[in-house]
Amino acid sequence: MDVIVSRSGGIAGLRLTWEVHVEEQPDPDEWYVLIREIPWSTPPPAPPEPDRFIYRIRCEPHEATLAERQLTGPWRELVERVQERTEPERSPRRPGPRRPAR
Amino acid sequence: MTRTPRPYPYSTPHKAIVPPYLLARIAAIDDPRFDVAADAARRSLLRDAPMREWRREGEPPSFIAHERPARDERPAALPGMAPSPDRRISDAENAERLPGRLVRREGQPITGDAAVDAAYDGLGETFELFARVFGRDSIDGAGIPLEATVHYGDRYDNAFWDGERMVFGDGDGEVFRGFTNSLSVIGHELTHGVTERTAKLRYQGQSGALNEHISDVFGALVEQYGMGQDAASATWLIGEGVFTDLVEGRAIRSMKEPGTAYDDDVLGRDPQPDHFDRYIETDDDNGGVHLNSGIPNRAFALAAIELGGFAWEHVGRIWYDVLTSGRLRPDDGFHTFAAETVRAADERFGADSPESRAVTSGWSAVGIEELPALDPVPERAASDAGSTMPTWTSSSRGAGASPDFD
Repeated sequence: MDVIVSRSGGIAGLRLTWEVHVEEQPDPDEWYVLIREIPWSTPPPAPPEPDRFIYRIRCEPHEATLAERQLTGPWRELVERVQERTEPERSPRRPGPRRPAR
Repeated sequence: MTRTPRPYPYSTPHKAIVPPYLLARIAAIDDPRFDVAADAARRSLLRDAPMREWRREGEPPSFIAHERPARDERPAALPGMAPSPDRRISDAENAERLPGRLVRREGQPITGDAAVDAAYDGLGETFELFARVFGRDSIDGAGIPLEATVHYGDRYDNAFWDGERMVFGDGDGEVFRGFTNSLSVIGHELTHGVTERTAKLRYQGQSGALNEHISDVFGALVEQYGMGQDAASATWLIGEGVFTDLVEGRAIRSMKEPGTAYDDDVLGRDPQPDHFDRYIETDDDNGGVHLNSGIPNRAFALAAIELGGFAWEHVGRIWYDVLTSGRLRPDDGFHTFAAETVRAADERFGADSPESRAVTSGWSAVGIEELPALDPVPERAASDAGSTMPTWTSSSRGAGASPDFD
């Protein structure tokens, strides 16, 4: 089971992705308990706030998008756990072809 | 119609090109980015020590006024009561807790904490731009206190507006070195508050990218106004100084050349598009609000550069008119916004004026063309605009007219 957290937004608009393979963790059972505890179908409402981070959490078959302010309780615990266990990968988007300079 | 650039029409050394009240501020900035400027400003201040008194008093000493050319329209010379900021800087002490401990209120001396003092000064400069150039008294137009929290979180890599206050992290020290280091970032955050009180552009998709664009516009203008830079000499960078030296990049965005602000092994390349053909559809970042803002950003910068002179004198006024017109709807996209800027340019400077043509060609250069026909100015415009503008705001339509603080 994989848990993938991607953080987008922020004033710089940079995206970071953390990915954890639960089976490779020393404590997979704790991960399973935490993942079961999360109310995947009812994430808290997420009104956007300018320049704040947006978290997308994927854990098949679940996926949820949360604003930073909504990242509380088990949601936050899961995200922090993922961030502690692995280094983020930056996933810069390549822009389209550049126009010739004028 | 005469147009006089502000603050000084002559490119002579600091004393002439930078308003003295800004010298005092520049001198006070404890920021390596401003080392040269700060040194120069400090030297200027030593040369003219009474300026310090002037700054404290809030009025120019008479000898400075005599040094100025007669046609200088510096707003410091405005009669009557100019609005003044009410700043409150709090320290989150590296917790993710708001508001944190109040550490500096308006009028209190520097604390010695660089982030606290930079936030205080930056909010002051942003306030000055809105007050003196656009006649706006603070975020709400009615003098609401400017509240900020610094040292938010542990190596927190961001700055944001939470609906009530500006919040600044210290950065992780590897990529980001703190967000109060950039005046354009401080101006950007405060402007989110202004947009929230005026056009209320929804923070999603195109309207969200416009919301971001507005913050970049006034963030850049705060820097240009503070440094006395005209459109040609301005950097048009947002967030210059927030990256550490380890990052191959100048800033987090370039308004003039979106997509060129950084190109780094770790961060990758600045992903901002510079043309509507390359608009990025994505679910991330509220629909790419920090990416697609590059498109209107470039339109603004190109229009400003085409006109030359000080951007806050022409395109800045046009954009401010649109922001506060009450005509924008929260979900408006690029084309409607562009049409509104052309209409505002026509109204302020005249149809077929250089300003109107520059705005149109700026949008055209980024692929925003065939602008929609707008409704005739509806009644709601007048009523909405009235609610966002203070009573002492100038109704003058003359270019370069200073707001009337009487």
